[in-house]
Amino acid sequence: MFTSYLSRRVAAGIAAAGVAVLPLLPAAAQDAIKVGAPLPLTGPLSPEGLKQKRGYDLWVETANTKGGIKAGGKTYTVEIVYTDYASNTPRAVQSAERMITDDKVNFLFAPFGSGATKAASAVSEKYGIPMIAPTASSAEVYDQSYKFLFGTLTPNETVSEPIAKLVTENKPNIKRVAILARNDLFPLAVAQAFEKAVKAQNLEVVTFERYAIGTMDHAAAITQMRAARPDWVYASGYINDLILIRRQMNDLGLKPQILTMIAGPAYPEFAKTVGPLAENITSMSWWHPAVRYKGKDVFGSTEAFNAAWEKKYGGEADYVDASSAVDGAIIQLGIEAANSIDPAKVRDAIAALDVETFYGKIKFAASGQINSLQPPVFQLQGGQPVVLWPPAIKQGELRFSP
Amino acid sequence: MRSWIVLVVVTALTAALPLAGNNYLLRLATITCMYAVLAQSWNFIGGLAGYPSFATAAFFGLGAYVSAILQVHGLPSVAAWGCAGLIAMLFAAFIGGAILHLRGHYFAIATLVVAEMLREIVNTTPHFTGGGMGLNLPIMRMSVGAQAQFFLFAMLGLSFLCTATAILVQRSKLGFGLRCIQQNEDAANVLGINTYAYKTAAFSLSGVFVGMAGAIYANWTNYIDPPDVFDVLLAIKPLVMVMLGGLGTIFGPAIGALILIAFEEFVWRNFLTIHAAALGFIIVVLILFLPNGIVPLLRERVARRGASP
Amino acid sequence: MIYLQIAANGLVLGGLYACIAVGFSLVWGVLNVINILHGTFIVLGSYIAYFAYVHAGIHPFASIVIAGGVLYALGHAIHAGIINRVIAAPVLITLTLTFGLDLILNNAMLVAFTADYRSINLARPLGTLEIGPVFLPGDRVAAMALALLLTILLWRLLRDSRIGRAIVAVRMDREAAALMGVDVKRINAITFGIGALMAGAAGALLSIIFPISPLNSATFLGKAFVVCVLGGLGSVPGAIIGGIVLGIVESFGSYWFGPEHAVTISFAILLVLLFARPRGLVGRRGYE
Repeated sequence: MFTSYLSRRVAAGIAAAGVAVLPLLPAAAQDAIKVGAPLPLTGPLSPEGLKQKRGYDLWVETANTKGGIKAGGKTYTVEIVYTDYASNTPRAVQSAERMITDDKVNFLFAPFGSGATKAASAVSEKYGIPMIAPTASSAEVYDQSYKFLFGTLTPNETVSEPIAKLVTENKPNIKRVAILARNDLFPLAVAQAFEKAVKAQNLEVVTFERYAIGTMDHAAAITQMRAARPDWVYASGYINDLILIRRQMNDLGLKPQILTMIAGPAYPEFAKTVGPLAENITSMSWWHPAVRYKGKDVFGSTEAFNAAWEKKYGGEADYVDASSAVDGAIIQLGIEAANSIDPAKVRDAIAALDVETFYGKIKFAASGQINSLQPPVFQLQGGQPVVLWPPAIKQGELRFSP
Repeated sequence: MRSWIVLVVVTALTAALPLAGNNYLLRLATITCMYAVLAQSWNFIGGLAGYPSFATAAFFGLGAYVSAILQVHGLPSVAAWGCAGLIAMLFAAFIGGAILHLRGHYFAIATLVVAEMLREIVNTTPHFTGGGMGLNLPIMRMSVGAQAQFFLFAMLGLSFLCTATAILVQRSKLGFGLRCIQQNEDAANVLGINTYAYKTAAFSLSGVFVGMAGAIYANWTNYIDPPDVFDVLLAIKPLVMVMLGGLGTIFGPAIGALILIAFEEFVWRNFLTIHAAALGFIIVVLILFLPNGIVPLLRERVARRGASP
Repeated sequence: MIYLQIAANGLVLGGLYACIAVGFSLVWGVLNVINILHGTFIVLGSYIAYFAYVHAGIHPFASIVIAGGVLYALGHAIHAGIINRVIAAPVLITLTLTFGLDLILNNAMLVAFTADYRSINLARPLGTLEIGPVFLPGDRVAAMALALLLTILLWRLLRDSRIGRAIVAVRMDREAAALMGVDVKRINAITFGIGALMAGAAGALLSIIFPISPLNSATFLGKAFVVCVLGGLGSVPGAIIGGIVLGIVESFGSYWFGPEHAVTISFAILLVLLFARPRGLVGRRGYE
């Protein structure tokens, strides 16, 4: 198995190098639409970068197999120009600009995360190239009145208010909430949105601690939370942080009735790594394979998307995978609606979209952020995510730990 | 005299780059000028005085944040850049007082730690600095092409100033004193050189231009956050550039910057996944086989050729 | 009382910090080399323990031997082949050299193992010890105990074995040691190897506590730095004391000022120490 890790890495490296060389090859006989995708393929964010890449690749394959994209009387194949910005935000910005000026991409996918998206969006706005962001949820990203930026994750309130309501409705004696947030754009913003949501339900936030990026020991924060005797513990961060926090909570005897974590439990790796400790963890996700939508996009329906994913990659997609794939589908829908690949026309078409897709209803607010979704609340029960909300796709009941 | 001519010619040539019409080339040139400033600044304290400083990242980040915060509160950009340089210089002088009495390892560590501390301070004061969420700067109302040129000229101007200062220092009493300190600090003291004053001057010089470079960089990218502007690579790369070009020389830093940036671009385009290793490889080869850098090597060659009958 | 728990957290953490730092301190004190590779060596040790557990069921504590052995060989080779050529150069040169080597090794590990965080899920974890109001995580305590044991073993080695005494002699005065017949080159390589061995062993111990990824190497290195300056270079008791002090300071600092300030506090202490007492709490004057 060790050698297969190695050979997979080598293969991926060669593939990445190969794809990077693609734009230098002479133009294919058929016209191609190029979408630039600066990604963190190495460095701390590489797991997420690779998820985005998988989503894009599935879209490209699906779109091209189904006959390409038709606009203005021509048929185009679609290809993605990748570059690795090594989780370094300035490099992401640089890559985006180079893709526009040198590689002459028609459209852009945003880099990973709210911070890098915000930084790179200045470039796409400058050049008037539509950029779609699959992994930026914080409102701060969209507050610059940019016209060419769109995002398919709903604002942080939408992943905070539903669970606050759900818990208080089901068990009114939950009163004390402890929050532990990573000191980073998204985790901090989402924790603050959560704080607002629980306060609106008249719960008491007994502690709100922040931990530095790269913290490897949470004993102090957990000890402090334990001393405040919370009923509900909420932790935000990325998957590695949350795994560590969960384990240390167990080590130090912090056993709240409800434990909510974001954004790790949505990934299958989380439950696998944490094992039995994952039981009853609640979380929210912008998308979940259990949703059921029928769409006008190239995938057609959630079931069809899930099947295509299973066939190409095995296993289930998570929300990063799906958000990336739908971003491709949105560009396609925009081109088809505008009947042209002119950036300004496609931009207007995307802004006017009001359509169902496998991902859910797509409609963008004036800021460019999607506001037409209801991110599901789920709970890990028996190692599997069980959707608790919205009622239309509910799969089970909320459980509390004794 | 020759140094001045070279400086003016190179600057003029670089200023003519916009005629080539390629925005990406301008971006590369701007980055090269920026690193030339960082490398040249490091040379004052590391090359001339022989004190291995890793504070470049601290000054850069400090300059970036000072300028960004001032602009968010309404100060025009060029004025903010000037303030950033001034504050970086004062900060260097202040910190210098605390750590310049350390030798060797300890000085190096102290400078590294200063950068980390500044980063953490920024991280934990989000109301003021945006903290982990980063800070957005007001966008300049300029076309894309005009912006590319504007920032090229800004960085180029800064690197001109910096190199001019280097030329002046080399020939001055300060430069002489610093070289004495590098060779034998105790002897220099005995000879009556105010080592404390000289070292502080060198350290301050190593901060002022870097602070301004950080400020210009912030406007250029429109968005800064602590891991990016306090990145330890910002301290290591200038060092490697100076070693590549030649410690203590005038144009060594700029030459080193050009070579390293060119190499990095090549590697980024062709060897995505191993670019860090490629940089490491250059460093190892450099240290093992080219300990004095390229400029002294070339000088030696030229001298030898001139000397042969 | 909560202070007891905080103190316990700090002690456990501190013991681990001591083990992380002792190899680094040795190399720095004896060879005058700031070994930037140290953090990456630790991570490599963790990976060895991880794969040994996942593929062969070997408990990470037993992997200390395997990881230590592999890292010793690696460290020895790197030193004898590369670092030794510039061993007499100023600290700037050797630091930059090890930085470059670290870039290579870290990148190689990233390509081989990916940046994905791995964790070891022990089939039979030791559970949590509850002593009154204090919760002591069993596996951490065991790791800490082993870490301290290893460190003490190293100390005995330095004091009592011939090689150890040769190492100490080189640390005290390189020329005099050479004059006394010590093969300084060989001792240098052995010392570097031992430093790497301790790093690998620490990595094996840490593999059950922290997530494993090449991305963590900088964090380990940062801790090692602080512990060394706190405790004094080249001194094993110094590393132990420095580690424990750092653990306690971080733990209480987090409690009083908030966890996000823990790193700032430790660096602030470092700066103050550098300013006031660079040789550290236990180190001897003259090694700076």
